[in-house]
Amino acid sequence: MKKAQVIPPDDYPQMVSKSDAAKMARALRSPETTARGAKVIQSHGQKLQLAVHDYVRELENAAGNLQLIFEKAHELRGFAETAGLRATGRIAGGLCRYFDDMERLGATPDKAVIALHVSAIGRAARAKDEAGRMNDTVVKELAALVAHKLAETKAALAV
Amino acid sequence: MRSLLRSLLNSIGIREIHEAANGTAALEILREKPCDLVLSDLAMKPMDGIDFTRDVRQSPRSANPFLPVIMVTGHTERHKVEAARDAGVTEFIAKPVTAQSLFARIGEILERPRAFVRCETYFGPDRRRKAQEDYAGPWRRHGDHHDLQVT
Repeated sequence: MKKAQVIPPDDYPQMVSKSDAAKMARALRSPETTARGAKVIQSHGQKLQLAVHDYVRELENAAGNLQLIFEKAHELRGFAETAGLRATGRIAGGLCRYFDDMERLGATPDKAVIALHVSAIGRAARAKDEAGRMNDTVVKELAALVAHKLAETKAALAV
Repeated sequence: MRSLLRSLLNSIGIREIHEAANGTAALEILREKPCDLVLSDLAMKPMDGIDFTRDVRQSPRSANPFLPVIMVTGHTERHKVEAARDAGVTEFIAKPVTAQSLFARIGEILERPRAFVRCETYFGPDRRRKAQEDYAGPWRRHGDHHDLQVT
């Protein structure tokens, strides 16, 4: 096998000179830049929430289509928290982890577990107090359910 | 998400931004307009972010195979992350996107550009992020001090 060729950064074109890059990187790390960026995200909140609600509807209409539910759950995991819908994002994240773990185990996800998550995502996204204590409890309960189901699946596969 | 990313880039003074709905459309733009940086989603149809990155790195028609590609995605499954890395992605941002995470990755690309590696099976940024002092080989790269060959 031939040895790999290593091309150092100085041997291919860079966006800017080294001194400009250092200045720009410093500016990007500054608290002012971060705060400006956070404001930008906040200003997109309403638009992002509308997009999240579209994803939620698509998720709810996916009825039984595991691939579609998987895709929408991943979109929601990424999107909802950016939109300020933290509980929705966390529930979607739990569903994603369940899908991933079941895939790793080579097992089919339980339809009831999926249905509970989809229903909870819909309720959380539409709740007036999205980040409220009720949703925190739902996130925890669903995480416990997933942990239980995974343990059950592992035990069944070990037999 | 594209609109949010555009606004975040605007907020740090980046004005010339081109948007594409998927990898195929992005490749068309890259062939016509020189770009300094790509932010790509992973899940896109018909061409996803992994195939897009592979094309940027390996296609003979690629305008700039060294183009930095930041993958912004909600898909953080290990096999997807590894596939993105092996396609030649420069940086990875797991959603939810924060201003801090995006700006940090852009800063990293600017300040610490990575060496590229070309071998029979890969072309892209060096996938070894850290030097391991106790690494005993195999030594697979030109410039490595040892002469062991991978067979």
